[in-house]
Amino acid sequence: MPFALLKYGLNGDFPFEKDADLPPPVSLKKRYDVVIIGGGGHGVATAYYLAKYHGITNVAVLEKGYLGGGNTARNTAVIRSNYLTSDGVKFYSESVKLFQNLSNEFDFNIMYSKRGQLTLAHTDAAIRGFRQRTEVNKHFGGKTELIGPKEIKELVPTLNMNPGHQPVLAGLWHMDGATARHDAVAWGYAKGATQRGVELHQLTEVTDVVVENGKVTAVKAKQGSVDHIIECGVVVQAVAGHSSLLAEKAGFRLPITTYPLQAMVTQPVKPFLDPLVSSPAFHCYVQQTGRGELVFGGGSDPYPLYNSRSTLELKEELLAHAVELFPFMANLKLMRQWTGLTDMTSDYSPIMGESPVQNYYLDAGWGTWGFKATPICGKTMAELVATGKTPSLIKPFGAERFNDFRQVNEMGATAASH
Amino acid sequence: MNNPAPVFRDRLPEPMGLMLERQKTVEFIFEGERITGIKGDTLGSALLANQQWVWSRSFKYHRPRGPLTLAGHDANSLVQLPNEPNALADRVPAIDGLDVTGQNVNGSVKKDKDAVLNHFGRFMPVGFYYRAFYKPKGVWDWWEKQIRVKAGLGIADLKFKPEYYDKAFLHHDLVVVGSGPAGMMAALKAADAGADVLLLEEHTLLGGSLAYSEFSDCNNPEQLRQELMAKVRQHANITVMTEAVCNAWFTDNWLPVLQGKRLYKVRAKQCIMVTGAYEQHVVFRGNDIPGVIFSSAVMRLMKLYAVKPGERAAVLTGNEDGYLTALMLNRQGIQLCAVIDMRQASELSHTEKNLVDQLHQKGVQVRFGQTVYEAKGSQRLEFIEVRAITSPGEVSASLETIPCDLLCMSAGYMPAYQLICQAGGQLSYDDQRAAFSLRNLPDNLYIAGSVNGIHRLSAVMKDGERAAIEALNALELSDEAVPDVFCDQKVNFHWPIFKHPKGKDFVDFDEDLQVKDIVNATRMGYRDIQLVKRFSTVGMGPSQGRHSALPTARLVAKATQRTVSETGVTTARPPLTPEKLAYMAGRGFDPYRLTSMHYRHLELGAKMIPAGLWMRPAFYPKEGQRLTGSAASPLLLQARNIRNACIENESLHVRTKVGLIDVSTLGGIELRGPDAAELMNRIYTFGFLKQPVGKTRYAVLTNEQGVVIDDGVACRFDEDHFYVTATTTGVDNVYRLMTFWNTQWQLDVDITNVSSAYAAVNLAGPDSRKVLEGLTDLDLSREGFPYLACREGFLNVPGCEHKIPARFLRVGFVGELGYELHVPSRYGEVLWDILMAAGQPFDIKPFGVETQRLLRLEKGHIIIGQDTDGMSHPSEVSLGWAVSKKKPYFNGCRAVDIVMKRPQTRKLVGFRLSAEYLVQNQKPEEGHIVLSDTGSDSSITGNVTSCEYSPTANAIIGMAYVGIEQSEEGGQFPIRVDGGSVVMASVVSLPFYDKEQTRQEA
Amino acid sequence: MKVMTCPLNGPRNINEFVFGGEVTPLPDLQAPDQAWAEHTFYSYNGTGVVREWWFHSASGYWFVAERDRTTDQIIKTYDPSELAADIRTAMLDVDRKMFGVERKTEEVAP
Repeated sequence: MPFALLKYGLNGDFPFEKDADLPPPVSLKKRYDVVIIGGGGHGVATAYYLAKYHGITNVAVLEKGYLGGGNTARNTAVIRSNYLTSDGVKFYSESVKLFQNLSNEFDFNIMYSKRGQLTLAHTDAAIRGFRQRTEVNKHFGGKTELIGPKEIKELVPTLNMNPGHQPVLAGLWHMDGATARHDAVAWGYAKGATQRGVELHQLTEVTDVVVENGKVTAVKAKQGSVDHIIECGVVVQAVAGHSSLLAEKAGFRLPITTYPLQAMVTQPVKPFLDPLVSSPAFHCYVQQTGRGELVFGGGSDPYPLYNSRSTLELKEELLAHAVELFPFMANLKLMRQWTGLTDMTSDYSPIMGESPVQNYYLDAGWGTWGFKATPICGKTMAELVATGKTPSLIKPFGAERFNDFRQVNEMGATAASH
Repeated sequence: MNNPAPVFRDRLPEPMGLMLERQKTVEFIFEGERITGIKGDTLGSALLANQQWVWSRSFKYHRPRGPLTLAGHDANSLVQLPNEPNALADRVPAIDGLDVTGQNVNGSVKKDKDAVLNHFGRFMPVGFYYRAFYKPKGVWDWWEKQIRVKAGLGIADLKFKPEYYDKAFLHHDLVVVGSGPAGMMAALKAADAGADVLLLEEHTLLGGSLAYSEFSDCNNPEQLRQELMAKVRQHANITVMTEAVCNAWFTDNWLPVLQGKRLYKVRAKQCIMVTGAYEQHVVFRGNDIPGVIFSSAVMRLMKLYAVKPGERAAVLTGNEDGYLTALMLNRQGIQLCAVIDMRQASELSHTEKNLVDQLHQKGVQVRFGQTVYEAKGSQRLEFIEVRAITSPGEVSASLETIPCDLLCMSAGYMPAYQLICQAGGQLSYDDQRAAFSLRNLPDNLYIAGSVNGIHRLSAVMKDGERAAIEALNALELSDEAVPDVFCDQKVNFHWPIFKHPKGKDFVDFDEDLQVKDIVNATRMGYRDIQLVKRFSTVGMGPSQGRHSALPTARLVAKATQRTVSETGVTTARPPLTPEKLAYMAGRGFDPYRLTSMHYRHLELGAKMIPAGLWMRPAFYPKEGQRLTGSAASPLLLQARNIRNACIENESLHVRTKVGLIDVSTLGGIELRGPDAAELMNRIYTFGFLKQPVGKTRYAVLTNEQGVVIDDGVACRFDEDHFYVTATTTGVDNVYRLMTFWNTQWQLDVDITNVSSAYAAVNLAGPDSRKVLEGLTDLDLSREGFPYLACREGFLNVPGCEHKIPARFLRVGFVGELGYELHVPSRYGEVLWDILMAAGQPFDIKPFGVETQRLLRLEKGHIIIGQDTDGMSHPSEVSLGWAVSKKKPYFNGCRAVDIVMKRPQTRKLVGFRLSAEYLVQNQKPEEGHIVLSDTGSDSSITGNVTSCEYSPTANAIIGMAYVGIEQSEEGGQFPIRVDGGSVVMASVVSLPFYDKEQTRQEA
Repeated sequence: MKVMTCPLNGPRNINEFVFGGEVTPLPDLQAPDQAWAEHTFYSYNGTGVVREWWFHSASGYWFVAERDRTTDQIIKTYDPSELAADIRTAMLDVDRKMFGVERKTEEVAP
């Protein structure tokens, strides 16, 4: 038993106020230097790094629901950096590095679990793409290899190497691939941010953004039936799944279409699957959580919608593929199916940086891959807010790229791998 | 248990035991011991009849756990079957020979070595794993492994072979989910009015609570059940499905129903949810000890399985059901040592007072205003400690400790809300009734009975009819006024939670969560019910909060000074009950398409590969070169060598003699009408208005972002008739795009996707004309049928009068004299045969897709999707010549203009490696990256898209994206190959082969 | 599964249909690049009832659906010929402008 647990057992009064991870609710102030809209992982991470590295603590994070209750709660916690473009790999590699130290940084265990991620190729076209990703990753120091069936079988003995009419030909073995307790990432950031003076306001919905002379000056928010006007110097919007709706309040459109994305989980069974396994051709990926559950994810829903209902057809398709890849899973039991909303951009890359409104910064367009970027996105967005200068890591991801049809060439590295 | 007891000795007499066939016994193994039961028993009822009350161990503390609901609703009853973890012992029928063990056990369920964890509970406060195991940095890696092996409940059988499961569809006017009294009344009422009704029952017996429960307003529920059942069974308009679980609600009343090994997908015009209510437990220390059980479970055990539940029973209640249970126990001769009502005597209704009197007459005294404060016993309940309730949740000093082996709990109900909430219904809490009720039902969905908060049997039956009338009105099968149904029976005790300083007062049995765990989660800052769930894991176990949702809502509300309604419960997601993946997977569906020449390729020993949905021959290995299955990975050296040898031979054959390739998978779109040319012109980048009849033209398609997404050959067979090919995987998209625009333009043209209507081959090589001569009456001469011409004609079938209608295209994809022949699909195999026969004198050989890729590479032709990526615009792939600069519009034209006027950053070029690399075997592979320079801080400027050894050129050739500054002909650029070494490639002009184009124009 | 009523084929499961984007007329061909960027990348993507293109795969038929982006309720579906006059005129207008004139292109050397 680790020493850290002894103190709880020996003290019947646990938890004391000092043991609380999150402070009790406080009243909204009239003005903040920075208002962050969205209390998901990205929002609280931005607040955390603002306080930690830039000494900016007069910050309010406004959350419509509860802390980390949007896509932070709903994603399948894939951490990886095996992207296709130099810009993508550089950015996500930094994120992976930050993730690895978060538990100790927060004094809160996010249960970072380095498992490796294996993406399966069933066609020579897929092998071409994987080889390119391997080489780009290696170029930036990532641990990624293109491996053959024999090595795949060794890594995942339970995998059916001949699913359907598309045998497994090769695999993209990304040794840096990992998972973590996704909720804990948001909680850890919130804990660290609030300890440094940041205010987290849950159940606080932003109803309007006040823009004067092209510059944001305040936001209007609702707590229950009470309306507030909150003045602010800077606004960061980090509301995955609702980015277009908030941007509309600020008076502009985003190059985003919002689609539901579904995932599902089985009952827990004893561990047998270490790596995160994904097959883009089968629109299916699976990982076994620390609790022993198998989490499945697949492709997005086929049409845009702001609704987190589940569908049977997605479940049937995804699980049929899962059973083709792992036939014995036919006998496992599905426990839960859920849905999140994803803001898709046409180039499968995020939007970070300035917006048409002065002092209003965007953290949006995260589609199905936002969780893994939480630390680096928070860190770079904080730098942008504090310095007013766009950090070079996120320069390629500005919304302005769409204005002259200059997209990030990242298609294919994102589908069904998240 | 070595001497199995006679089966009947301990069973109760009939009419108890509705489920049993008493003449037949069954025997199975539990934890290595032989258990004898009666046919009709579940594993659980047989275990209880054999005094086996410990079925599994709990998730965290490894406490012994036994039955709770006996309805398949709790996680305590999860056992391990040989190839199935997490099987419900109270639902799985007892079958001869089945080998069953407990779960989550280190040792046996009786002696679990991990039970020591029970004593360390105080060192494991809620969320303890967030607070430990990571200091000093690096130790987590070790701890994680230790913790992981303790996780998980059952063991998955990794060798399990899937069984046959399938799917079916049903369509009904009305689906009634649940066959309790309200459900049967609803079904009958609707069926009488002419509706086509499907009645679903999850259990074996129809009747819901009528089958096992007792009612204060019905003396003989079994008789009532039989009467209703007879009517239902006989009704022509009612289809009944038992052991059929409606496992979710999806949009538009789309209901997945699991029965046997089949998933029924049921479409209901109207749906009545009569899903009942889940009995709720009382929270006190030791409330999980085997022998502490729901009242409804004890009734089920006696009525359905005739199992005597104990010798000395106590009842803890807050409603009339506890009294009905006590009376039933008394009637079955079980000693009642205590009947404890948490309420004061003054709170009892008239009906309840009558029941108390009945108990008095039988010599049983009732205690009011008291509760069980603690239950004790190691593997089975031994004592209960009774205390007086002084205020909600607070108790007096100990009053008495009573020995007993059974405690029945009746603290109230939670509506079985999951399906209704999935449909959009919302739960709200009524403080007066201390109960949740459902509101905001969507259209075409109704609820009735106890899920609707109505518990008195007579009212329940009326409520079923009421719901049926609503559904009938919506179906326009009646216009009856909807009656009001009223029921004032209060079933929920307002605060059945008694926190104990030493804990083990379980709120959630699945996850071993106690009162303090829930309260402490809120004190640590996780105040929202969703955060409480996520932090403490309450409700996340196999029973998904059926029993923990209500006490958790109450506790969180109190701890955060909010109302229970404000606090709410967490979202009810599908499925309702854990469902095997097999149901969703069904028989498996792996569609793929075969060309009409497919079997000829197999006969010739082709190595087949998937191309989109199609299967295509990659190449044709000779005997002794064949590889099977995944061993044919292109990463394996042996496989590579065979492949390379095959495509070298095949390509040389095409270059020197004649070859035949199946290109049936090409997409084909037929455009007919006066505006056919106009449509072509508005879709593709090139000009098509002036394309002469009898000529083909290369057609490039860009999307609205200016990216090249498809290409093909446009044949003009007549002024008003085009036939345009498209890529195998792109054709559906091209067709959609054409029809989309023409919906708006309304040009006079018919657009038809004829991809699968045509089979096609490419006959290529210097001898191809000779092969075709004699097979057609067309003039095949260079002048009569020149390069890029197309013809419609016929192909003679030797020895047969019949002629095959065919389209002849002189195209040059592989760079030799050649003809593409497109014929109706049914002639595909004949086409192959006659060409192979006619080609025999010229040594014709088939060639595959991989060979074709080499041949076209030698000619410098790009393949969309291989040499283009998601951003390739026409200039980058040197297709600027195929983009009309003059015509007003084509699909994506403005985007193309925008991206092409921007300074270009990269370009697809041809490259060649010097001979030394051939010797060193350092061939770049497709996907290898191009570097800016060979320095250590080089950047990535591009990637290899195609690369092969060309036997014709005797060199490694390829195409690659390079930085625009590297694209000059004659320049060199570095490619990083396998192993990290760098090779230098020289930019060369395309094509590599036959620059003068004399061969294809021959 | 959700049911969608095809104007040509009646009520069908929604997986028979393909979503085709919001109904927005193309910008004028002479419109600035920014207008084309907005048309191409910046859809409305808001809540409420949105007019959308849908395609019935089996019959190759495009039609218009008015759908609530929050509830997923399909308010109505109809043949494109019934599109509101303003949208239709805008389309035809562009149609006329687009196909009647020569396009100006700037060639920039790489």
